[in-house]
Amino acid sequence: MGKKLKKMKVKEEAKGLKGLGHSAKEFLYGMAGHDMTRFALKTRGSMEHLFILITMGDLLGIPILPPYYSLRLLPYVVPQISTWKRRMLREKDLTDALA
Amino acid sequence: MPIAEIFQKFPNRRYIEFGGKGGLGKTTFSAATAYWLAKQGHKVLVFSVDPQASLSDIFERDIFGKGAVEIMPNLFAQEIDADRHIHQYQEQIRQKIRDMYGLDKMPEEIESYIQAAAAEPAMEESAIFDAVVDIVVGAQFDYYIYDLVPLGHALYYLSMASIYDEWIGKVTSLREEMQEYSQVAALLERKKKTEEDEILAELQYIKGRINTSSGILTDRERTAFFFVVTPEEMIILDTQKAATLFAKYQVPISGYIVNRVIPAELAGENIPEYLRRRITMQADYLKQIDRTFGDEVLTRVPEFERDITGLEMIGRVAESLFGGQA
Repeated sequence: MGKKLKKMKVKEEAKGLKGLGHSAKEFLYGMAGHDMTRFALKTRGSMEHLFILITMGDLLGIPILPPYYSLRLLPYVVPQISTWKRRMLREKDLTDALA
Repeated sequence: MPIAEIFQKFPNRRYIEFGGKGGLGKTTFSAATAYWLAKQGHKVLVFSVDPQASLSDIFERDIFGKGAVEIMPNLFAQEIDADRHIHQYQEQIRQKIRDMYGLDKMPEEIESYIQAAAAEPAMEESAIFDAVVDIVVGAQFDYYIYDLVPLGHALYYLSMASIYDEWIGKVTSLREEMQEYSQVAALLERKKKTEEDEILAELQYIKGRINTSSGILTDRERTAFFFVVTPEEMIILDTQKAATLFAKYQVPISGYIVNRVIPAELAGENIPEYLRRRITMQADYLKQIDRTFGDEVLTRVPEFERDITGLEMIGRVAESLFGGQA
């Protein structure tokens, strides 16, 4: 409540995640950092989706957690997987989902 | 200084790695070092993190996927069967999902995700990465020798560790902030809150696993990393580049071992021109190596008359590596 969110900074060095690209990273972090306050309270569902996006981003072709470890998180996001995929495919782009 | 001195001077460096381009002698030296340490009375495990491991070849025994196999007193070797590890893991995940949601059958979508994930190229490497954590924290052995994959993969392996650490740190703090907002919104049912705690715990667990591995590899006090080079131009150049990169990832290099040195005294005998020229060429590169790496060059090991396979040849390499002079 009234707590300032830290802005998540994206490290400049590619450090090996060549497939990811700067803009995608910045987008993810920007989205996470800036808009959280605004929509967090009214759309907790979106945050679940955000979490899923970040941890299971391989469904969109963005490699994030090592596959071995992201698989470990699968049981926790099972209920959300079908709804999330439908939602991601329905939205025109990600920013719409968070506007 | 001779490599034997590194072990004597730094007895706490219990995690040993040999790195360098493929085919230069990493597996040979891993085996030889394991042999020497075992003969000294230490309990040693040499294990391979390469999906195409060659410890079975050099020890002339099939040790693949058989856990730690005793090759000779005190000397144990292990080749991790990544595929089996992954299959067992998949089944654990399935079982957890069945338990959590009271399902008899895996939903199709989930099942196909589980199978797709296992087929990813990085899955094998990250599975081995995880298996190694269990091995090295087991504390059953006095020494652990990582027979590392060829150079490129080793760097990927290390960069993986720091990247994932970074990402998990961010995801964890994101998750924690989400938790705060959930509480603020007061929309939380008890069940969901417990679930979030569990997810946080999982993320911390993953972070812990990754930190354990990378922590060891970058700890100068506990790790000795040896680079294997041969007296060839491209190898010297590549090794220089790699050394810079390793410094960037803060992997402490304990020294360089020069392998495949044709014995210089052969030049005094009646030898073919071809061989004489190779000896001369090597002499130049050996000087270059000494110039470039200075007193970090620990030992020179000769080219043997045959392949190094079997304990007898391994013993000879050990003698050359540890008993010989720089």
